Amino acid sequence: MHNGKKLWSIFGPLIVACLLVVVLFSLPISKKHSAAIEHKAAVSLSPVVFKNQSIKQQALSDKRTNYVPFFGSSELRRMDRFHPSVMAARYHNYTPFLFGSKGTQSLPQFFNINSMENQLADQKAVYIISPQWFTKQGVQAPAFKFYNGELANLTWLKNANPKSPYDRYVAKRLIAMLGSDGTVSSYAKKIANGQDLSGWDKAVVRFRLNMLVHEDAIFSGFQLSDNYEKHILPNVDRLPQKYNYDKLYDEAMATAKKATDNNDFGINNHFYNKRVKPRLTSTKGSQKHFNYTASPEYGDLEVVLNEFKNTNTNVLFVIPPVNEKWEKYTGMDMSMYYRSVDKIKFQLKQQGFNHVLDLSHDGAKPGFMEDTIHIGWAGWVKVDQAANQFISTKQAQPDYKINDEFLSSTWATLNPTPANLQKFATDYLK
Amino acid sequence: MINWIASLPNYSAYGTPVYFFYLLLAILPLGIGLYFGKRFSWYEALISFIFIFLMFDGSSWQQGISLIAYVIYQTVIVMGYHHYRQKKNAAGVFYLASALSILPIVIVKLSPAMVGHNSLLDFLGISYLTFRSVGTVIETRDGMVKSITPWTFIRFMLFMPTITSGPIDRYRRFEQDYQKVPDRDSYLKLVNTGIFYLFLGFLYKFVIGYFFGQHFYPYFERAAMADPHLLSWNLLGVMYTYGFYLFFDFAGYSLFAVAISYFMGVKSPMNFKQPFKSKNIKEFWNRWHISLSFWFRDYIFMRFVFLATKKRWFKNRNALSSTAYMLNMVLMGFWHGITWYYILYGFIHGLALVVNDWWLRFKRKKLKNMPHNKFTTGVAIFITFNFVMFTFLIFSGFLDTYLFK
Repeated sequence: MHNGKKLWSIFGPLIVACLLVVVLFSLPISKKHSAAIEHKAAVSLSPVVFKNQSIKQQALSDKRTNYVPFFGSSELRRMDRFHPSVMAARYHNYTPFLFGSKGTQSLPQFFNINSMENQLADQKAVYIISPQWFTKQGVQAPAFKFYNGELANLTWLKNANPKSPYDRYVAKRLIAMLGSDGTVSSYAKKIANGQDLSGWDKAVVRFRLNMLVHEDAIFSGFQLSDNYEKHILPNVDRLPQKYNYDKLYDEAMATAKKATDNNDFGINNHFYNKRVKPRLTSTKGSQKHFNYTASPEYGDLEVVLNEFKNTNTNVLFVIPPVNEKWEKYTGMDMSMYYRSVDKIKFQLKQQGFNHVLDLSHDGAKPGFMEDTIHIGWAGWVKVDQAANQFISTKQAQPDYKINDEFLSSTWATLNPTPANLQKFATDYLK
Repeated sequence: MINWIASLPNYSAYGTPVYFFYLLLAILPLGIGLYFGKRFSWYEALISFIFIFLMFDGSSWQQGISLIAYVIYQTVIVMGYHHYRQKKNAAGVFYLASALSILPIVIVKLSPAMVGHNSLLDFLGISYLTFRSVGTVIETRDGMVKSITPWTFIRFMLFMPTITSGPIDRYRRFEQDYQKVPDRDSYLKLVNTGIFYLFLGFLYKFVIGYFFGQHFYPYFERAAMADPHLLSWNLLGVMYTYGFYLFFDFAGYSLFAVAISYFMGVKSPMNFKQPFKSKNIKEFWNRWHISLSFWFRDYIFMRFVFLATKKRWFKNRNALSSTAYMLNMVLMGFWHGITWYYILYGFIHGLALVVNDWWLRFKRKKLKNMPHNKFTTGVAIFITFNFVMFTFLIFSGFLDTYLFK
């Protein structure tokens, strides 16, 4: 073979491949997702929606459909007929955009919220806080990593301010989650130490962001789950035509009764057979040592609150209950549980977050819980009513007074007796 | 100065696709030179310095200083021993030189377990450099290294494509390659294979490895942590997804290192040869992390067998080889790090090699009529594969968090 031919046979395919990539990334591919994709994404609970940006940003700024973000965790997956997404499709003039799965506690939610700041500005949102998040370790690193991505981290880093105690706190938590290796952690280290990123660092961040945003726009729409077709759409027609709270509540209780008739806990039959029954004896008394009153999660919640203050988002907080019969069986200390709820509410109310739907005492009501810790049926009817009331009527401008004392370990570890809460208020809050 | 270096950007080797763009651009003049039969040693030294500098600057600058000190230290030992070896050949001096050469890595590996934090001597790639340096000392003892200068030794140690994670080359082989410039036809063949390896590496590390490492493994890790049962399908998921992640990530990395070496006209040895096809554990170690396992085979296993035979430590040949296997693999476990799971990993592999030998002997003597066909081969591959995956689960350290934290 001639030398030129030889060289071409080696490098030709390489050159063509490179050209094709350049073409793909510079073609005027529509960056718009269709309305159908938005709809699907709103209930898909897929990690790509959570950690990427293009779909959620587009949906929340969509004028045709009024999407309202619902932040939460695993309860959002309990998609029975009375789930807020089904109820809203039938009765309300808004559509919940769901953000949450098992493990999306406040820190992952912070990065989620941070990457759609502009879309949240002056809007309303619902935030479901589970006391079960507030364990000694807080969010687990594997769960965090599953719902977190470079795009969200760099978006935050681009504007992170080393002088802000909130950003320094987030930087420290980010390093704790990701480990100290890697570009993101090395930049986070600078923020945590109170140093600005250099001009070069920022250029690298911008360059990476540019690529990731493009990738997100092209590929995210392909990785959504079918929850909409499977769980939402078929359920909508099974709801009565006219909205009537009492009737719906009764119907929910009746449905629950049928669906939970193989056990004494009021747990969904299927869930009971699969997850509870096989280990019933070993779980008795297993939650005696559970403690939700001291946790890094309180600080993580604070950075979320600060984010809501910055975006001036008006938020309804929901504190869901736990299944009381079940907790009695597993020996959880209910007074500890109520103290943790008090601590969460104290942190909210002291800073002007006054819309709180506290359902923590409803865990023994029939049909309220779908399983051990997740709300369902009648519980959803009640949540939906409060959410609709909050979203569909005009609310006063929020007046948040954020206080970084809630980032401290003093607060995170405080045992929330009424006396201790009172003392914290007089010592640290003005 | 330090502040300035600490503020510079850091690029770990082959970390991102963009890295390859810079790297290939930088070695393009080298390639053109080799095409015309010339090796631009000075230009190569310069870009090697720049890319190694970029691996160890920024937040890793302390590692950079440790690297410099380490290379000077090893050069002094190797040159000193080579100088001594020209005249004499006492075993004691050889053992002393080897011990001094191993000393830094022993300190580095012991530090986390003894004092609770990483040693200041540590830097990314120290273990791979140790293999090269100790290997050179041993080759010198065997009289295989005729001439060596500080410059050629440092060039071998700091060969940029393989510096942080191998493959582990041998001084004599490397130097022979380096001295002769391949003719045009063989160089073009190298480049052609190199490009194939490079793209196979992309597929392994950035596509398959990415999905296993960033999606499947975290998924099962999370699910297993949340699963109330100690033994669950999710734990099995952790096992397989981690095993595949480990292979595709590391094999991809090794392919990059070999490909870049080829472009630079050096035939670095291959590190992986379809390891999951192995029919027994011995074959597995001939296919998995080959440059490491051959290093251990030549310099630990064989040396021990020779020494023990010479000194007549064992009456039984099988007892000798079993001891050598155990020593070999447990030492490899320790080399990975002093944690219970690395050591257990080495121990189990040692045991497996012993059992494998025993089984082959047993089969030869007692099961002469055992059929050998596609089915039995399939069973052998299946058992080997699953055993290996199980040991990777131990190796991953996941059980440490899972059971004790």
